[in-house]
Amino acid sequence: MKDNRKSYVGLRLTAGILLGTAGACAVVVGMLGFGLFALGTWLSLILVCIGVLALALAVWSLLLLAKIEDKLFATGATGEISRRERAQKTLVKAVLYLFLSVLALAMIFPFYWMLISSVKTVEEYNLATPTLWPHEFRWSTYLAAFTGSLNLGRLFLNTVIVGVVSTLLSLVVTVLSAYAFARLEFKGKNMLFAALLATMMIPGELFTITNYITVSRFGWLHTFTVLIVPFLVSVFYIYLLRQNFMQIPNELYLAAKVDGASDLKYLWKVMIPLASPTLISITILKMMGSWNSYIWPRLVANDDLHRLVTVGLRGADFRDTLTQLPDFPLQMAAVVLVTVPLLLVFILFRKYIMRGVSRSGIKG
Amino acid sequence: MSRKEKTVKKKSKNQWKAWLYLTPMLILLLVFTVWPIFNTVRISFLCRWNPDLGAIVGYNYSDAMNGAKYQFGINNFINVFTTGDSFLTALGNTMLLTVLTVPISTMLALLIAVALNSIKFLKKFFQTVFFLPYVTNAIAIGMVFAAMFGMVWPNLARPPVSVGIINTIIEAFGGKYINWVDSGSSYWANIAVLVIYIVWNALPFKILVLLGGLQNVDKQYYDAAKVDGASRWRTFWRVTVPLLSPMIAYVVITGFIGGFKEYTSIVGIFGDSMGPYGAPGKLNTMVGFIYDSIDNNQGKASAAALILFAIIFVVTMINMYVSKKKVHY
Amino acid sequence: MKVVLEHLTKIFPSRSKKEKNAEVVAVNDFNLEIPDGKLIGLLGPSGCGKSTTLFMISGLQEPTGGKIYFGDDDVTKLAPENRGIGLVFQNYALYPHMTVQQNILFPLQNLKGKERLSKEEMLKRVSEVAKLVQIDEYMNRKPSELSGGQQQRVAIARALVKMPRVLLLDEPLSNLDARLRLQTREEIRRIQRDTQITTIFVTHDQEEAMSISDYIVVMKLGVVMQAGKPQWVYDDPANLFVAKFLGTPPINVFKGKVQGGKLYIGEEDVFDVPGVEDQDVYVGIRPEGFLLSAEGRLSCTLSGVDVMGRDVSVVSTNGASFNPVVRSIISADELKNISGDTVRFNLKEHKVFLFNRETESRVYFGGQSAAHAEKLAEMEAEGTFHASHEGALPREADDKPKTETAASRKRGLFGRKKSR
Repeated sequence: MKDNRKSYVGLRLTAGILLGTAGACAVVVGMLGFGLFALGTWLSLILVCIGVLALALAVWSLLLLAKIEDKLFATGATGEISRRERAQKTLVKAVLYLFLSVLALAMIFPFYWMLISSVKTVEEYNLATPTLWPHEFRWSTYLAAFTGSLNLGRLFLNTVIVGVVSTLLSLVVTVLSAYAFARLEFKGKNMLFAALLATMMIPGELFTITNYITVSRFGWLHTFTVLIVPFLVSVFYIYLLRQNFMQIPNELYLAAKVDGASDLKYLWKVMIPLASPTLISITILKMMGSWNSYIWPRLVANDDLHRLVTVGLRGADFRDTLTQLPDFPLQMAAVVLVTVPLLLVFILFRKYIMRGVSRSGIKG
Repeated sequence: MSRKEKTVKKKSKNQWKAWLYLTPMLILLLVFTVWPIFNTVRISFLCRWNPDLGAIVGYNYSDAMNGAKYQFGINNFINVFTTGDSFLTALGNTMLLTVLTVPISTMLALLIAVALNSIKFLKKFFQTVFFLPYVTNAIAIGMVFAAMFGMVWPNLARPPVSVGIINTIIEAFGGKYINWVDSGSSYWANIAVLVIYIVWNALPFKILVLLGGLQNVDKQYYDAAKVDGASRWRTFWRVTVPLLSPMIAYVVITGFIGGFKEYTSIVGIFGDSMGPYGAPGKLNTMVGFIYDSIDNNQGKASAAALILFAIIFVVTMINMYVSKKKVHY
Repeated sequence: MKVVLEHLTKIFPSRSKKEKNAEVVAVNDFNLEIPDGKLIGLLGPSGCGKSTTLFMISGLQEPTGGKIYFGDDDVTKLAPENRGIGLVFQNYALYPHMTVQQNILFPLQNLKGKERLSKEEMLKRVSEVAKLVQIDEYMNRKPSELSGGQQQRVAIARALVKMPRVLLLDEPLSNLDARLRLQTREEIRRIQRDTQITTIFVTHDQEEAMSISDYIVVMKLGVVMQAGKPQWVYDDPANLFVAKFLGTPPINVFKGKVQGGKLYIGEEDVFDVPGVEDQDVYVGIRPEGFLLSAEGRLSCTLSGVDVMGRDVSVVSTNGASFNPVVRSIISADELKNISGDTVRFNLKEHKVFLFNRETESRVYFGGQSAAHAEKLAEMEAEGTFHASHEGALPREADDKPKTETAASRKRGLFGRKKSR
C-alpha cells in the first residue's frame, strides 16, 4: 500500500515538473511566436493557451502532491478515499479550474489588449495580423496623449477639482444628515427618512431634464458649480452612514455629554473616527463617480475649460494630424491613462469598494 | 422650572438643532430631487402649436422664457411614438439588450460564483480578476472593445488593412471575419458585441452578490444533502439555487432596471452617434432617446422619461411578483 | 446492525504552514463494538472528539486511520449516502425552502436504480415515518413555521425515511429548552425502541446520556475514558475524570493518602483500606456516600443545610476538599445527629473511589475489586458491548509540548488507562 502511494507521489512529481516546464516553454514560444518567429498568430495563440493550461495543471498537481505528502509522512495515515471518488473529484476540480481560467482570461484580455496596443507603433497596430506582444515599445505615445489635441492634463485637472470638491462637500452634507437621522430626535424623522429612501427608486433621467432647465436658469452652464452641486446629496450614502452611526452605542453619547462635549465635538471626535470605514467607502465611490461620470457633464459643461475626463476621452478625435488615419495606439494610451488610476484605487482600497458595492448595486 | 418644562425645552432645542443639521441636505434635495419630480411630470403635459413647423411641439425652456405659451395636453406622449420611428427603435433595442443580457449574465455569474465557492487554491486571485471590470470606466473600456472587435479601415473604398484581434482569432479557428462594429456592419453583429460587453461589465456585481450569498449558506445543508444521497447536480438545483433565490431575485431585478437604462455601454463602443459609422441612431436606447431631445424639446424628453419610468416600474413589479412566488422563505 | 470501530483515529492537519506541529488529534485510537439495536450515548466535554467520531461514522469526515464496520461490511471508504445511515444535525439542517413533506421526501427522491420507489410508495413511506415521529399534521408547513421540538422530529423523520441501518444524532437536544428537552429525550427513546435501529447520539450532558442510553461512552480529548451501562460507569468509574464528569450534584474530591492500610484525608484517618499500597491519592466520595454520625471519622465544618423534599443536603467545608464545599445527601431523620459547627461523617465503601495522584486512575480496595471483576464478567457474558482502550494516548505526544494541543493534552494526562 505504502509503496503504491509512494510511486503515486513520484508519478505526480514527475508529471508536475514535466508539465510545468512544457507549459512554460509553450507560453514563451507562443508569446514570441507573435513577434519574432513567423509562426502565425493562430498557432502561437493555441500554443499560449495550451501552455497556460499545462502550467495550471502542473501547479495543481504539485499542490495536490504536497497534500498527499502531508498525509503520508507527517501523520502516517492509513486511510484513503476510494480511487473512483478521488478520480471523480480530480476531474471536477480540473473542469472547475479550466472553466474559471478561460473566463478569467476573457475578463483580463481587454485590459491586456489595451495595454499592449497603447505601446505599439501605429504601423504595427495596423498590421494585417495583430501581434500579441509588441515588436517595439513606443512610450512617446503617452506623452502625445498629454500634449496633443486631447489635452489630457487639463481633463485630469478638471476632474480632480470636481472630484475633490464634490467629495468633500458631499461628505459634510452626508455626515450632518446621517447624524441627525441617527442620533437626534425630531418630529417626523421616520417619515422624512422613508421619503428619502423612496426617491432612490426613481430613475435619474427623470431628474436630469428639470435639473438641466434649472441649472440653465441659474446660469450655471459651463461652470464647475454645475458639475458639483446637483449631485451633492446621495440618499444612498446617507442611508449607509446612518446605519453605521446607529451601530455606535448610545452610551458613548451619554458619556460624552457627561464629559461636557458638545454635539458637534462628539460627532467629530467619536462618531466620525468610529465610522471611518464607511466614510472611506463613500469617499472612494464618490471620487470614482466623478471620474466615470459622462452623461451630465457632457450635457452641461462640455467646453475646454470644464470638460471632464470621460467626456473628453469619448469626444476626442484620435487621428494622426498628418495622415488623417486613425491612431489607435494613441486612443488606447488615453484609455490606459484613464483606467490605471481606477485600477490603482481598486488595488489599494479593494476592501472598502467591495463593501460599499455589495450593499448597493449602485455603480461608482 | 418644573422638570416637564425642562425636557420640553430640551427637546425643542434639539429639534431646532436637528433641522439645522438637515438644512443643506434638504435645500439641495428640494431643488434637485423633489422639484424635478413634479416639474418633469408637469412639462411632460405642456405643448403648443408651432406655426413655423406646422406641428404641435413640446415644452421648451428657452422658448418659454421668450414668452411662448403652453397648454396642457397629452400630445408629447403621442409625439414620442409618432414622430419618426426612433422611439420604437430605441424601445426595441433596449428590450432586446435587456432580455438577452440579464439571463446570460445571471447564469454565467451563478456558475462562476458556484465555481469560486468550491475552490480554495487561487480563490482570492480569481475573485480579484472577476471583480476587475467593476472598477473600470464604461466608456473607456467600451472603446477597448470597439478596438478589439473593430477593423483598421482607413479607406472605405478599399478592403480593411487589419480585421482586428477578435476576427484574427476567429480566422485562426477557420471562421470568416465578421464586420462587428464598423461601417456597414449588420444589426445582429452590433447587438452581439453589445451583449458581450454588457455581460462582461455586469458580471462582477452579480458574482459579488451571489458569492456573498453562497458563502452565507450554512455548510450543514450540503452535509445533509450528502447524507440524503443527493448528487452534485441535484444538490445544486434542489438546495443551492433555492437557498440562493433571494440573491438571484435581487440580481435579476437590478439587472432589469440597469438594462432598461442602458446607454453608456453603447456610447463607449459606438460613440454618441449611437450606431456604427454611417448609421447613427441605429442602436439608440430609451435613455439615449431622452437625451436626444433634452436640448430643444424638454416636453417630449419628459414624456419619454415617464414612459421609461412606467416600464421599469411595471417590469419590477412583475419581477417582484414572480420572485415572491418563486423565492423561498 | 452491529457497529464496530477499530483503531479509529482522526488528525486534523495544522491550519497554518508555520506551525507544522499544530495538528489536532481529535480522535485517538477509538475502539468500540456497538451491539445491534441499542441506544448509545457518546458523552464528553466539548472538544473531546465525540462529534468527530459521529461524523466519521456518518462518512462526512474521513478517518485518518482505522476502520468502521457495519455488521461485517467495511464501510470506512464508503460515501455517506451508501452507508445506510440517517443523521440528525445539531441545528437540524432542515431545508428552509421545502415543506415538511418535501424535506422528508428528499432522501427518497435521491434513490436511484433498483432502490427507487414508486411515487405512491414514497408518499406512503413518508407518511408512515411522519406518524412515527408524530408530525403528520404539519406536512405542508415550512420549517420556519414549526417549533424547535417539531423541527427536531422532522429532522429525525428525514433521517429515518430511508430506513437506515444506523441512526446518528448530533447533540439532538441542545437546541431545545429545558422542558422540551425532557419530553424529546423520551421521544427519542420511544422511537428507538419502536424501530430497533442501532442509534448513536452525541451529547455533553451527562444526565441526558445517563437517562436514555443503553450504553454510554465517556470521551476526553479524543480518547475513550470508559464505556458501559450508565449505572455501571457511575458506580465504578475507571478514573477521576469519569467520576467527576458523571453525577449531579458532582462527586466530592479530596486530597488524601494511603498509609499503612489506612486512608487519610487531611490529618484524619477516615477509612480502612487494607491491602492498598502506600501512595498519594485523590478521594472521590459521591454525595450519597456519607453517613452522618456522632462518631464519624471525617469531620467538616458545617456551613448550611438545604432541605430538598425527602432528602437533605448538608453543605460543609473541609480543608482537603477540591470542591469549594462538600455536599452530602442524607435522609432527613439523620439530621438529629448534627450539633454544633462540626459535622462528622462515616463513609459507605461502595461510594468512595480512590485514584492514584499521578495517573488519576482507579485504585481498588476492599470489596471493590471483587465487585468490579463481577461486573466485568457480567458484561463479558452478555457478549454485547465492549470497548478496549489500552494505551490509547501515544507517548510521543508528550514530546511536542510546543503546540497548544499537545500542551492541553499533557495537562489532561490522567486516568487514561483502565485495567480490564
